Amino acid sequence: MQEFDHIQSLWQSHSVEVKISSDEMLAQSKKEVAGIRAKSRLNILGMILSFAALAALLLFAEFESWTTLAGLSIIVILVAVYTFILYKDHKLIAQNDFTEHPNAFLTKLKAYQLNKFTIYNKLYWVYMAALSIGVIFYFYEKLDQLSPFMQGTLILFTVIWMTLCATVFRKSYLKGERERISLLIEKFERISAQFKES
Amino acid sequence: MENKETLFKEIFDTNSKKIFHLCYGYTGDEDSANDLLQETFLKVWQNLDKFRNKSLISTWIYRIAVNTCLTYLRSEKRQAKDELTDNIIENRPEEFSEKNEQVALLYQSIAKLEENDRLIITMVLDELPYHEIAEISGISEGNLRVRIHRIKSKLTELYNQHARI
Repeated sequence: MQEFDHIQSLWQSHSVEVKISSDEMLAQSKKEVAGIRAKSRLNILGMILSFAALAALLLFAEFESWTTLAGLSIIVILVAVYTFILYKDHKLIAQNDFTEHPNAFLTKLKAYQLNKFTIYNKLYWVYMAALSIGVIFYFYEKLDQLSPFMQGTLILFTVIWMTLCATVFRKSYLKGERERISLLIEKFERISAQFKES
Repeated sequence: MENKETLFKEIFDTNSKKIFHLCYGYTGDEDSANDLLQETFLKVWQNLDKFRNKSLISTWIYRIAVNTCLTYLRSEKRQAKDELTDNIIENRPEEFSEKNEQVALLYQSIAKLEENDRLIITMVLDELPYHEIAEISGISEGNLRVRIHRIKSKLTELYNQHARI
């Protein structure tokens, strides 16, 4: 039979160790946001590279039909517009620091999440429709130069790839992003709540 | 800004160990205790300018930590408390000894208490003055004394029960 004094001495003898410093603690808090920022930057970088490659093709390759030029132009403009949209969305989370301005950052993070949802839902279908038109125009001349087998393969590959992007990849990306940002919003709201109340 | 950082570092160095122990006592799990410590001090960092010197800064930080603990597990929908405390034994087989077993029993017993009681007893075990605990938990000192007496008895009973198993 033990008394409370024994419990107290046991508690005090169990030394705990704080393994991080104050700087590391603040840095760790910023890390989660940095992960979302990095992913967003990569997304934009990918779009910029696509834009550069397509623009180079448009400028330096020679085409015989106006349809190819029109198709490529549509795709280049489309990529440029969506890169700009992504950049505008990225700016929401790029300029603020949660550790310094919690409420302002939280508002912007919520706006970022909402925008992401719009980009990968409503705007994604506009993007896909425009991209399909661009690809159809582009293929009009290009496919003519290939054998029927290659034509079939290329069309099949394009259709499968675009379908996969619109369904499996889009959904899994959106699900992952939503969960990640929601968790962060929930955590930041919890942290901000105590001082909002008082 | 530099002043704020220096002050924060000082506050962190002075209080983090006690706050971590409080969080550890509440969750019985090192990872969760670390998360709670981080959330608590993030609140301290963000609201340092709101501290008015009406009470001790340690009391203010404890109050933040208690609030953080009470809202954390609910919103995070963490594992059941019993599973967490079991981890203390399971995760460290190399540290197994009679004393560690007793410590694990103690955390298991604390875990059986109600959430608020868990936090109060953790502060009692850390020998915080009663008037400070009263201020942190928002209970009058008279009521607190009665409550502490009850929690102490309950904890001792739970610990002895666990020890017999």
